[in-house]
Amino acid sequence: MLANNLDIEGLSISFSNEGEELMALRQVSLSVPRHSIVGIVGESGCGKSTLISSIFRLPMENAIIKCGRIHVNGTDVLTLDEEEMNRLRGKEIAMIFQDPFTALNPVLTIGSQLIDIQYRQAISRKEKKQNVIAALQQVGIDRASDRFNQYPHQFSGGMLQRICIAMALLVKPTLLVADEPTTALDATTELQILALIREFHRSTGASVLLVSHHLSVIAELCDRVVVMYAGEIVEEGLSQDVFGAPLHPYTNLLMQCDPARIKEKARHLPSIPGTVSRVVKTSTECIFVHRCPQAVSRCSELVPETYSVEGRTVKCHLISNE
Amino acid sequence: MNSLLSISALSVRFPLGRSSYSLLPWQADRYLYALSNLSLDIDAGETVGLIGQSGSGKSTLGRTIMGLESAYSGSVKLQGLELMGLSEKNYRSVRRKLAMIFQDPVASLSPRKTVGQLVAEPFCIHKSEYKNLQQEAVRLLKLVGLDENFLSAYPHQLSGGQARRVGIARALALDPAIIIADEPTAGLDVSVQGEIINLMNRLQEELNIAYLFITHNLSVARHVCDRLAILYAGSLVELGPTDKVLRAPAHPYTELLLRSMPHADPMEKREDMHLNQEEMSYGEPHACVFYQSCTYSSNLCRDEIPAYWAAGPGHASKCHFPLGQSVE
Repeated sequence: MLANNLDIEGLSISFSNEGEELMALRQVSLSVPRHSIVGIVGESGCGKSTLISSIFRLPMENAIIKCGRIHVNGTDVLTLDEEEMNRLRGKEIAMIFQDPFTALNPVLTIGSQLIDIQYRQAISRKEKKQNVIAALQQVGIDRASDRFNQYPHQFSGGMLQRICIAMALLVKPTLLVADEPTTALDATTELQILALIREFHRSTGASVLLVSHHLSVIAELCDRVVVMYAGEIVEEGLSQDVFGAPLHPYTNLLMQCDPARIKEKARHLPSIPGTVSRVVKTSTECIFVHRCPQAVSRCSELVPETYSVEGRTVKCHLISNE
Repeated sequence: MNSLLSISALSVRFPLGRSSYSLLPWQADRYLYALSNLSLDIDAGETVGLIGQSGSGKSTLGRTIMGLESAYSGSVKLQGLELMGLSEKNYRSVRRKLAMIFQDPVASLSPRKTVGQLVAEPFCIHKSEYKNLQQEAVRLLKLVGLDENFLSAYPHQLSGGQARRVGIARALALDPAIIIADEPTAGLDVSVQGEIINLMNRLQEELNIAYLFITHNLSVARHVCDRLAILYAGSLVELGPTDKVLRAPAHPYTELLLRSMPHADPMEKREDMHLNQEEMSYGEPHACVFYQSCTYSSNLCRDEIPAYWAAGPGHASKCHFPLGQSVE
């Protein structure tokens, strides 16, 4: 049996900050099965970026990996040396960054960057160029051979994000991680980029791990969704289940806040009062208790377990009552 | 004509990089029309949403009203006073009435100043008569829901939502009649977005401020705006009451925008759309700005700029073949 494209088990990462230990991720487990699209939803400070950086082993200052394992196609990335890690990056895992304007080198033409990324392939430069033009056409860039010699600043944000997807097409990873790929883009462009990612998934069979704070982006594209809050996974399940009937109070509130879901015109929009707490010591209470409208006494006394309910997991005391 | 802010036939153009050819007499200078022939009135205490994609000229309009860009032609009047062509010195007194909330909440605050200094800064710039700046700063912070402990905080110590509140406090300092809010909720988390919108709505009710609410997020605009102005490639293609525009769009571009509005329900997938990528109109427009992407376009659209068609009271669409025309 083939391993999942990504398996993360019990990952905990802390940052040391002026003698204080900031627990950015606590016991995070998730997996991306083959040929699937999994979404991670969470607000700023929930640990999304820390999680992604750890998959790629990108340098994170002050970070201490306390425990846990990260398997990419069965290989434990935390035990690899730097050279082995480099062989993994781009070949098995690739990433699309949030800001397409800074993702590409401004002083090189896009053509040369797209050729360089194929450095692993033992083919002539001419063939590489043909591949580039084909990939650019595939992501919908007109006059690809003219634009080959242009620099990043000559493209719009949506076009640059297309070029980043073309890069992914050229290296054919088995897992593509997209970190907020449409946050910097317009609604109309957003749709086109999402469609391209879906097309990429269909044509190459690669899995996609899509990170966003935008609920509708996740709902649009993903088979499964993982909801993160303050460094923990609070709910996980099939998109239609989680979005159809959220079980965790945080997921529920988050969805109520989404202005797109409020059908009637409202002068007063809902929000979640309070702020995300910084976790500096092992907690004895539920992480969401201070902002939770449904909190009961048990929530501030005991950390909830992760319960499995009909193919989804929820970390909340309220579930255990049912 | 008693509008608070009255924009008529405003055009703003930017020169495009001159090549050596442009020195030749028959090579006319090329210009990009960021705004062409735009007219819009804003009344006291109302919120007008300015909707459009990036590059449509939303921010240029905001900046032109603030006097940060100069107009090529047309006029902008604030309470009857013509702003275009005012000298920088005279503009300064006008800016007391106009305030702006900038797009990036943290970047719009100087990292070297405390919140107290930032909030009091408008008084210093305008050499205001207020003697007790500290007291004024506290009053403004209270207005936006921050307590006085924030006076000595620096911008990097603030969360996105708090920084946004400080930006709003600064905008409110000189009792403006109108605030131009450039994407005030961009970059904020969904859970905080509602707070900022509610704050802006409350301030509007208390202080009777008008907002020009620049956004590309239709889901937010729907809840906040009294009227919507839809901008495409520098042209105002549709203007009307929010619910009218959203329920019965009269311009094909608005219709397309509405179809691309996100659904949080996974069962309702958005349609995949095909919009021609880069449509920059070089030179003065002489056709409908949308004709290349429009599904309904004909030769007429390519040859002639459409006139505004009244789709209903206060609802106009700049289209040769407005939607719903046969119904009404």
